[in-house]
Amino acid sequence: MKKLQQIAFYGKGGIGKSTIVSNLAAAYAESGLKVMIVGCDPKADCTRNLRGDADIPTVLDVLREKGGAKMELTEIIGGKKIDVDEIVYKGYNGVLCVEAGGPEPAVGCAGRGIIVAVDLLKSLGVYDRDLDLIIYDVLGDVVCGGFGMPLRKGLADNVFIVTSADYLAIYAANNICKGIERHASRKGSPLGGIVYNVRGAIDDPELVGEFAGSVGSKVVGAIPNDSLISESEIYGKTVIEYMPDSIIADRFRELAGAILEDGSGVTPQPLSKEKLAELARRIREKTREAADKSR
Amino acid sequence: MDGGKFFGAFRASSGITDAVVLNHVPVGCNWGAAIFKTTSNQFDMRHACTVMHEREIVFGGEDALREALIRADELYDTPLLLVIAGDAPSIIGDDVEAVVNSVTLDAEVMWMEAAGFKGSMMDGYEEALLRLAGLMKESETIQGSVNLIGFSPDDFKVDADVKEIKQLLLDAGVEVNTVISKCSLEEFRRAPAAELNVVLGQGTLLAEQMKKELGLPYLKMDYPYGLDGTAHFVNAISEELGTGHEPEFDIEPFKRVYLYLHELYGTPVSVIGDFHAEAMANFLDGELGFNVEVSARNEDDYFAFEEEVRNSNTTILFGSSFEQNIAETLNIPLIRFCYPVFDNVCVYDDAPYAGFRGAVCLTEAIINTVMSYGGMNK
Ligand SMILES: Nc1ncnc2c1ncn2[C@@H]1O[C@H](COP(=O)(O)OP(=O)(O)OP(=O)(O)O)[C@@H](O)[C@H]1O
Ligand SMILES: [Mg+2]
Repeated sequence: MKKLQQIAFYGKGGIGKSTIVSNLAAAYAESGLKVMIVGCDPKADCTRNLRGDADIPTVLDVLREKGGAKMELTEIIGGKKIDVDEIVYKGYNGVLCVEAGGPEPAVGCAGRGIIVAVDLLKSLGVYDRDLDLIIYDVLGDVVCGGFGMPLRKGLADNVFIVTSADYLAIYAANNICKGIERHASRKGSPLGGIVYNVRGAIDDPELVGEFAGSVGSKVVGAIPNDSLISESEIYGKTVIEYMPDSIIADRFRELAGAILEDGSGVTPQPLSKEKLAELARRIREKTREAADKSR
Repeated sequence: MDGGKFFGAFRASSGITDAVVLNHVPVGCNWGAAIFKTTSNQFDMRHACTVMHEREIVFGGEDALREALIRADELYDTPLLLVIAGDAPSIIGDDVEAVVNSVTLDAEVMWMEAAGFKGSMMDGYEEALLRLAGLMKESETIQGSVNLIGFSPDDFKVDADVKEIKQLLLDAGVEVNTVISKCSLEEFRRAPAAELNVVLGQGTLLAEQMKKELGLPYLKMDYPYGLDGTAHFVNAISEELGTGHEPEFDIEPFKRVYLYLHELYGTPVSVIGDFHAEAMANFLDGELGFNVEVSARNEDDYFAFEEEVRNSNTTILFGSSFEQNIAETLNIPLIRFCYPVFDNVCVYDDAPYAGFRGAVCLTEAIINTVMSYGGMNK
């Protein structure tokens, strides 16, 4: 059996993680790999585009319903009350979809929820299944220990950060690097690379390349801004499913290849405040230039 | 070692003897708070718990709290439910106030937040009393009466001590109005009727507030251990109130026990505890003639205390059940006098450690412990 690979995607809220992850999964499935996506986001929208926008019960939904009064993992597993099929759903082209889920907005502790969900997946033996690749799609920032779970030793082999050339996206990316650095130094996941998603005010691959270089990593691929992405989203589809012959679909396939090609990651060195401020200054300048031009 | 804010709030709240405390915590905190109390006196079981599990941590504990409130109200015939939100709900940010406001119950409900990590046990006690002060009612002053502040219902010997202190004060013409916190809700409500607040170790913030708002003065006193300690305690209070009584103290029983003490003169001992510790050390040193080698407070560095005791000549240790281990390792007897005591009972309310009779009982306990331990084997 081939070795199971696990990769995780982080990045600023709304930057395009779920879009990229679901398209990548579709591309891998197309090439014959067995892929599973684990959505680590209480809003449970990571795999929608692989399932025609259909709702699936999340891991925590199932736990909440089945757990009786207590919801203690050991008890539930001991009594075999939860079946893998109740939380793992087949999506487009056989891609397996899992949504960790979480509490309702503004209550409880979503981070703890991720820990509980990942623990449950482990004890259900999801990881022992005949899989080639697991992709974690983790919400916005690494706000607490719970959302850092996939970075811990034994989970993701590599982490990828999605960013645009916008300052706040890079700022978030730098912050995420701090989390990765912490875990990488304890045999956790290293940074596999930066994925450039062309969103926001400016399109500047050099800037993103410079950022990647200065934290000790590289840009593994870029996804252009394309209206096909939002168009396919209307139908709850990836572009690979919706327009398999489009240029943008190919770009996702290229990215998919690049990500699995080079397996070795690095422990990132996050930028200092000063360096980040310097980068911010230059981004602002470029944004202003771009705005002037378009006027 | 300090139990943290939650324990302090629990102890202050459960001192209102006809109220029911509803702990909004995982099972461990509730068990801890209960076990330190019920082992020494099993008759007092007035508390409920939401028992938070993983489910409540992830999805929030508000539903569990609402349900527990409704059930506790059905289950207990009580005028007052006191909700204490401990560590877990504070971390995940349960909106306790909103839940409490969302239910209509027979009992009055009061809530407080007391996360263990937010402060010491004493902080928890002080803050809880300030919160509980909202229950007090304007009352006509009862001349010559005092409130005693600083007690908890799970203090070792609390029933006997309070009884003794009340009697001593009564003999001196002083009536005890309310014992805080070891009183009924009704007694608590009428605390403002006292002429003077007497603070024993903790509860100063409440006394301060009552002084500011009601003009009720307060006196800070050491816990009345020993003859001197007790005489000073009673005299200071009756003087403050100007009762004009010259109380007569019967120290005959003490004299008889005292004979046994000659052999023990100069015995090296160590003391640890809450605010009781200092008063105890003073009694042991000043009245029994022991050598107090190490005297520490719970909130001090416990490992340093252990080390100091180990390096001293200590032959008797005074503390709580927690000190059993050190005592065992050093092969010396342990006299329990301070919270928490969970391996001795103290149901009988006629053998105090406070006051004159307390001095006799305490001295007897010390002598007996030493004699039955095989004499001075060190
Ligand atoms: N390259 C792109 N071109 C055009 N639209 C894009 C592109 N990338 C993402 N989008 C759009 O941006 C929106 C947000 O994307 P997505 O949900 O993937 O972000 P996310 O990082 O997963 O967000 P969250 O942090 O909320 O999970 C979507 O509507 C998506 O269609
Ligand atoms: Mg997303």
